[in-house]
Amino acid sequence: MSTHLAIDLENVAKTYKAPFKEAIPALRGIDMKVHAGEVFGLLGPNGAGKSTLVKILMTVIRPSQCKGTVLGQPVGDKYTLQRVGYLPEHHSFPPYLTGRQLIEFFGAMNNMKRAERKRRASELLELVGMDDWGSKKLKSYSKGMRQRVGIAQALINDPDLVLLDEPTDGVDPMGRRDIRAILDHLKDEGKTVLVNSHILSELEQVCSRVAILVKGKVATQGTIEDLTAGQERYEIQLAPENREILTQFASDTAEVNGATLKLQSVEPKDVQPIIDKIRAKDGTILSIRRTRPSLEDLFMQAVIDPETGEELGPGAARDA
Amino acid sequence: MLTQTLALFYDAYRELNSKKLFWITLILSGACVAAFGAVGINEEGITAIGFTIPAPINSISITPELFYKTLFLNLGISIWLTWIATVLALVSTAGIFPSLLTGGQIETMLSKPISRTRLFLTKYTTGLFFVGLQVSLFCVASVFVIGLRSGAWMPEIFLAIPIVVIFFSFLFSVMTLLGILTRSTIASLLLTILFWFVLFIVNASDQTLVAFHESSKLSAQASSERLETANENAALAYINKAREEGRELDDSYEPTTEELDSANVFLPMLRQSVEDNQNTSRKLKPWRNGVYIAKTVLPKTGETINLLAKYVMSQEDLDAWVNLSSKDDPGTVVNEETGEVQVSSAEVNRAAAKAINDRPLWWVLGTSLGFEAVMLLIACWLFRRTDF
Repeated sequence: MSTHLAIDLENVAKTYKAPFKEAIPALRGIDMKVHAGEVFGLLGPNGAGKSTLVKILMTVIRPSQCKGTVLGQPVGDKYTLQRVGYLPEHHSFPPYLTGRQLIEFFGAMNNMKRAERKRRASELLELVGMDDWGSKKLKSYSKGMRQRVGIAQALINDPDLVLLDEPTDGVDPMGRRDIRAILDHLKDEGKTVLVNSHILSELEQVCSRVAILVKGKVATQGTIEDLTAGQERYEIQLAPENREILTQFASDTAEVNGATLKLQSVEPKDVQPIIDKIRAKDGTILSIRRTRPSLEDLFMQAVIDPETGEELGPGAARDA
Repeated sequence: MLTQTLALFYDAYRELNSKKLFWITLILSGACVAAFGAVGINEEGITAIGFTIPAPINSISITPELFYKTLFLNLGISIWLTWIATVLALVSTAGIFPSLLTGGQIETMLSKPISRTRLFLTKYTTGLFFVGLQVSLFCVASVFVIGLRSGAWMPEIFLAIPIVVIFFSFLFSVMTLLGILTRSTIASLLLTILFWFVLFIVNASDQTLVAFHESSKLSAQASSERLETANENAALAYINKAREEGRELDDSYEPTTEELDSANVFLPMLRQSVEDNQNTSRKLKPWRNGVYIAKTVLPKTGETINLLAKYVMSQEDLDAWVNLSSKDDPGTVVNEETGEVQVSSAEVNRAAAKAINDRPLWWVLGTSLGFEAVMLLIACWLFRRTDF
């Protein structure tokens, strides 16, 4: 296990068992590495085991099998949690507390001194844009406001590692932009952030590396560049009225999709003859782009069963 | 570590503060103490808000100090704190564990550097904190009001704080286990009240059986004493009569049963009465022992509260009440002819109270705390093992 890894997991498994009920394997051997100082995205369809994995790291769920470290200490070490911040997906904070009281309370739960708690709470309320609402009771907050305060409580102890489970859930577009800015801020401060989210476009903007969980296993993990390596291509888009021109180019290395031609090549010399042919037929080229698959494309690739070609449905790995 | 504990207690205070029930209980406690202040005794009887109600209980029959002690025990503790305030406390604290487990708070709490066992025990203690706070305020107010009204300052009243908190903890441990099992505030509250009702039934059965058994023992004793005297008198009467008839009998002669019966025709009824009373006593004993054994594994809520009277009331105080209550009591009466025994109710009450009060402290508190420990061990084990 390397010490420069914030999270280093080997063969983490969890099977939910209940008397007189069928055992449900939620995680079937997770191997995952999160480097210190990076923003790491954890993706996967519903029921893939993302929240279970995060909860195991936070000692909320006991693993059936687990070998690994968090910040260099064995998973489950309570003392290490003093250096970790966590925002659960379905949190519910006491409505009788104000935003400031909530943040300070969790500061105390992290054994922080009173003066330090007060100072950090003020800083964090400003960071999450809630400084005007700090003295108001949580029961008067909207979902987005509670989410912002939730992020603040996760950061109260100035953690080295932050785990955010669906941080943008219920947050409006402006709030999402603000949360992205907070993630960038954390990254600049050298914090390690693990984000579990369904909103792939957001993760693509902030994550250095991602892992995609499918049916309780890591289907793929790495940087987006690594994962898309060899999948770059040229796309030529014609005016819609010229779409018939493209039919002659369809082949094993070129796919026609409406008025767009997708070439499985990154070589400019392979594109030139095609441009000539289109122009010779008086076709109007709207754009020529060099593209790579999006995170959504990667996600969809991961959740498609390579044997059947069918999408792996939601739910835990009951039938895996 | 201390920071976390203080934070959890402060949070519990804030939660209580936000609940109207906390303040309602406090206001009602204040009203109860005010009632102490409004009531008193003078030479004619009981006084209330300046009015005198003529009564046998007056400052001649008992001291004002005893009057207020009794008022505190019978009204303040036995009715207010152990019934009404306890129900309000159960309602106020019923949600501590269910809301922690189901409200989405548990994930955040467990992600902090605090062990599950310590979190569980601290949360449990915050529940007792509610009762401790209420009882403490009640006792402080009572000591002042009683002291100012009667001139007697009774610091022993503060014994009510640990005793009532321990009493509540028996019920709260059950409610905690049920809260963890059901994760429902309403279900855990209702089931705890049902459990309390079962305890009440067992306790009432115990007290009734003890009273009946003691009564039958006293009856058997009184009737057998009466039989012994009647036998002696009948023997003497028979010997005298025989001598008058010219028979020579020495003083050591022991008449047969038939001869005794011929001298006193009521003797068979007396013997039957002794046998009946002894049979009743014999039949009641296994039932009394059975209920005692059943109570051994259950929390002794009644006896725990009675501990306060045991330590607050002196023997002199108790005697004063017994004298007052048995002033018109005719005592145990045995019908000379039929042998029927009417045991004095004051004697039965005294014997039953003695039998119950003589139960050892380890049995009252030790086994009850043992029950609580088992409840908490199971609840803590479940709390430690559950995936949230």
